[in-house]
Amino acid sequence: MNDISTKFYNAFIVKDRWQLYIQGLGVTIEIAVLAGLIGIVIGCIVALMKLSEPKKGHRHSLWWYIATAYVDIIRGTPSVLQLLIMWFIVFASSNNGVLVASLSFGINSGAYVSEIIRAGILAVDKGQMEAGRSLGLSKAQTMKEIVLPQAFKNVLPPIGNEFITLIKETAIVGYVSLSDLTRVASQISSRTYEAFMPLIGAAVIYFVLIKILTLLLEAFERRLRKSDLR
Amino acid sequence: MISVKNLKKNFNDHEVLKGISTEIDKGEKIAIIGPSGSGKSTFLRCLNLLEEPDSGEIWFEDQLITDPRTDINKVREHMGMVFQSFNLFANKTVMDNITLAPVKLGLKTADEAKQSALELLQRVGLTEKADSYPASLSGGQKQRIAIVRSLAMNPKVMLFDEPTSALDPEMVGEVLAVIKDLADSGMTMVIVTHEMGFAREVATRVMFIDEGIIMEENEPVKLFTDPQTQRLKDFLSKVL
Repeated sequence: MNDISTKFYNAFIVKDRWQLYIQGLGVTIEIAVLAGLIGIVIGCIVALMKLSEPKKGHRHSLWWYIATAYVDIIRGTPSVLQLLIMWFIVFASSNNGVLVASLSFGINSGAYVSEIIRAGILAVDKGQMEAGRSLGLSKAQTMKEIVLPQAFKNVLPPIGNEFITLIKETAIVGYVSLSDLTRVASQISSRTYEAFMPLIGAAVIYFVLIKILTLLLEAFERRLRKSDLR
Repeated sequence: MISVKNLKKNFNDHEVLKGISTEIDKGEKIAIIGPSGSGKSTFLRCLNLLEEPDSGEIWFEDQLITDPRTDINKVREHMGMVFQSFNLFANKTVMDNITLAPVKLGLKTADEAKQSALELLQRVGLTEKADSYPASLSGGQKQRIAIVRSLAMNPKVMLFDEPTSALDPEMVGEVLAVIKDLADSGMTMVIVTHEMGFAREVATRVMFIDEGIIMEENEPVKLFTDPQTQRLKDFLSKVL
């Protein structure tokens, strides 16, 4: 018993180490939120690029090829490697680690988000677009008023899922020596020669963070769905 | 009002419309009948360019709508369309379904649109559903709302693509009654239908489309009682 409290004391209390976890959590959240926003912006743009249909008898547009290549490359390579490439090659001269990491994760996430959004738009019944067009509304008007609001409902659960994956994926920023929650925990464990408390502690913090996020998403989804059935 | 000249349409290698020509005058009620896969729905959907024809011409009131330079959205404002699967906007209330297009396209103010929507809803007996979402309506109610949504644009012609085919049998009557009412009010209409009794009662001309061409057309009584082609005889013997 005494042993456990000593370990707890060493892992969290001494030298105000708990503050390091909080700082680490701050870095994790900062990167995840920034990357999430970048991912959604890229995802929307890329999804629209991939959805642009070629006129009959024509080939796909240049945009379509660019978007397809982007998604293929990002999905076809490990995200750790993408992070290392961004850090040591593309932005080798930058010293804003958080920003470079956010950009790297954002570009990575954008590929997955674009596929989610594309699928969400395609899942809206074709008849909705036809009905809008038959009334004289333009394609853009029908998209904005009818298709996208319905697609939004479709994509919310998988986007939430993607964001949760993203939060945990940021744990690899230790590779480029950023002090996120995971790296803080592992550094403390190597200082105290005791792995259990810091690692389980960090795991609990991730778990609580994601549980809160999940509950928020579920509440939001319930509210959206209410408008369907009245 | 609508003039179609040698209309052709392929899906991949399959030739669905093999050259359709016809004239539709103001006030006419055309019923299009024919076996499934004959091209009758494709023909109807070509009239407002939901399907793009491969060749041929479609004129609507002296405007060549198959010309790529024509603003098809403007033309569609005057051509209402009712679908087999209703296609009410799932994310909008009944009221918003009806008022969206007239308001967005600047034909009516929000208040005017609401006012005329309420009048139209009263005509089909669904005033109390104004604030409901489509998911809570029966098929018959959805289709009546869909008709009202088209009428809110004050169209010059109404296109119906098998308006009762997706309905439970007990709801077919209420929708046909609304369409008949509309016919009696003088609306020009083109209806693709499997309801032979209805075609006979309401149509001024019945068109039998088979294998991508107008095989035979006539006023309803003559067409149903004295079919000229063997194909029509066979078809009628199966459906009547």
